[in-house]
Amino acid sequence: MSATLIPEASSGGTGAGPGAPSTASTMRRNFWRGVWRVMRRKPSRLAGAVILVGFAFMAIFGPMFYPDQLPDNANAITQPPSWEHWFGTDPQGRDVLALVITGSRYVLLSAAVTALITVVFGTGLGLFSGFKRGRWDTVLMRVTDMKLTIPGLPLLLVLATVWKFGNPLQMGLVLGLLGWGGVARAVRAQTLSLRERGFIEAARGLGLSTRHIIGKELLPSMAPYIAMNMLIAVTGAVYAQVGLFFLGVLPYESNNWGVMLNLAVFQAGAMITPYALGYLLAPLLAILLLTLGIVLVVDAMDEIFNPRLREE
Amino acid sequence: MTVIARRLAGHLARGLVMILVVATVSFFIVNNIPGDPMAARYEKLIEGGMSPEAAAQAVKVLYGFQPTGTLWQQYTDYMAGLVHLDLGVSVSRPGTPVLDVLGEAAKWTVLPVLAGTLLSFLVGVMLGVFAAIKRKSKLGDALAISGSLLHGIPQYVLAMLLVVIFATLIPILPAEGPVDILFEPGFNAGYIGSLAEHAVLPVVTYALSAYGGWVLAMKSSVVTVLGDDFILAAELRGMKRSIVFRYIARNAILPLFTILALSLGLLLGGAVFIEKIFNYPGLGLMLINGVNDRDYALMSGAFLLITTAVIVANIVADLFYTTIDPRVRSGEEAS
Repeated sequence: MSATLIPEASSGGTGAGPGAPSTASTMRRNFWRGVWRVMRRKPSRLAGAVILVGFAFMAIFGPMFYPDQLPDNANAITQPPSWEHWFGTDPQGRDVLALVITGSRYVLLSAAVTALITVVFGTGLGLFSGFKRGRWDTVLMRVTDMKLTIPGLPLLLVLATVWKFGNPLQMGLVLGLLGWGGVARAVRAQTLSLRERGFIEAARGLGLSTRHIIGKELLPSMAPYIAMNMLIAVTGAVYAQVGLFFLGVLPYESNNWGVMLNLAVFQAGAMITPYALGYLLAPLLAILLLTLGIVLVVDAMDEIFNPRLREE
Repeated sequence: MTVIARRLAGHLARGLVMILVVATVSFFIVNNIPGDPMAARYEKLIEGGMSPEAAAQAVKVLYGFQPTGTLWQQYTDYMAGLVHLDLGVSVSRPGTPVLDVLGEAAKWTVLPVLAGTLLSFLVGVMLGVFAAIKRKSKLGDALAISGSLLHGIPQYVLAMLLVVIFATLIPILPAEGPVDILFEPGFNAGYIGSLAEHAVLPVVTYALSAYGGWVLAMKSSVVTVLGDDFILAAELRGMKRSIVFRYIARNAILPLFTILALSLGLLLGGAVFIEKIFNYPGLGLMLINGVNDRDYALMSGAFLLITTAVIVANIVADLFYTTIDPRVRSGEEAS
């Protein structure tokens, strides 16, 4: 019930009495009630939200609890999981859990940058292309098609010989610039179908400006869709950058999950030596948990914003 | 037929332009590489215990055929070479033309990818239909979630988990390499058996990574078709369930062929990870080796070949779609 309290408090703040119901606040209250209902019906979705918040906290505050250089321990090299070290230690005697936590910042920060760039670029181009149509649309979509056809990972590998991706922002930028194709396509398709709908026609008939139509009519109805795409872009970004470091084509400058995986598999031989399994499994579990959280949240969002899917 | 021919011509023209663009881009990226391949080779030889003079001599011999002249001249040489299918000479395998290296590697990529695609298609489509029909039950829900999860899990995570489970914890399958070197290559039971045994884990990884996409796509496609009027009409006319089911399947499966291209592209791109983890000597592994050894002829050759494969897969999938869907064939839907 706590979720429904928030909009009520805000509607009280605007001074709307019981006799003068403000439509905006009722709508908001209904929205939160819908969210709550969806969450309550399938508690697994709540778990998704909790996982994502947990990862965000881990990336923001986690590294503060550890020194910049994690302490080595020559007496505890490549140990199996124990009470002291939940996921064992790496070949330098560092705690694997600590490595995962300190590594999460690079991974999640660059993923966030990628998602932002993907969505801004993709939405912008998709809206422009779908709304204007005509020649620019054809040209842009041809370019997008090309971008979608070129396999991204091999291209990244080739690029890795030129760029070094030392900091997460750079990595996020490159991945974002390579990854907007899918979102642009999807947003364009949505725009094309929405622009023929009644409410857009009405807005145009009323002589409202293009800016108003795009900003106030088109974007809000696509916002949930875009947000879902953004979350999916996060998984793609995590996948690609961890993979690049895992393949070992980039220098091990920073501490992150991909470097851990690379060292675990190709140096500690963790895939074939069972006692080093913790070293390998910890980053894998982190990736799986993050994916699970995102899948659950996207699923929940789909149901909240797409009432047709709700089966009572 | 004319529609198909016209489409094919358009596709081929576009494909050629794309290959040209990709070749140009990879040429200029390669020419900006900061790490000098000659220097890298020299250091490697010294590390290998060679004296500096001998190493310098060896490098000179190896690179005697390196293209010279202005950038533009090199570019035109490179392009002229491409037309004759000449991708240059590999540096990390001195004296071997890149085309030979890649030709040898291609079969290790193409066959497992095709096997994985076929397997995931069959299983994914069947379970997708099931998930759509039973979408209100727990089982259908579980199938859909399994689809989204497998769709979201990176290929390398899948591959590593499979190795850990089936090669380390329960050692029943070999973890790496394409074949046991004990067997003599040829058409004998031992060699073929070893090949198959080594292919199981890579193929299953390919299949699992594509499976999610098929389940989700088939589920939503079937759900859409189920709501169509002609299904209702067929049911009202009292048609047998098996016939109605055939109507559904035929219509629902059509849109999936557009995904076939995407899926093949995904798998060919993902070959990089899977081949690295299973130490499978395919195109992806060649690409990584090319990057690591700064063997840029091999690197850009592998990249070009993978991209070409994806483009060809796209064209084939589209033509296939045109052939099987009468609505597209008659030209009602231009694009």
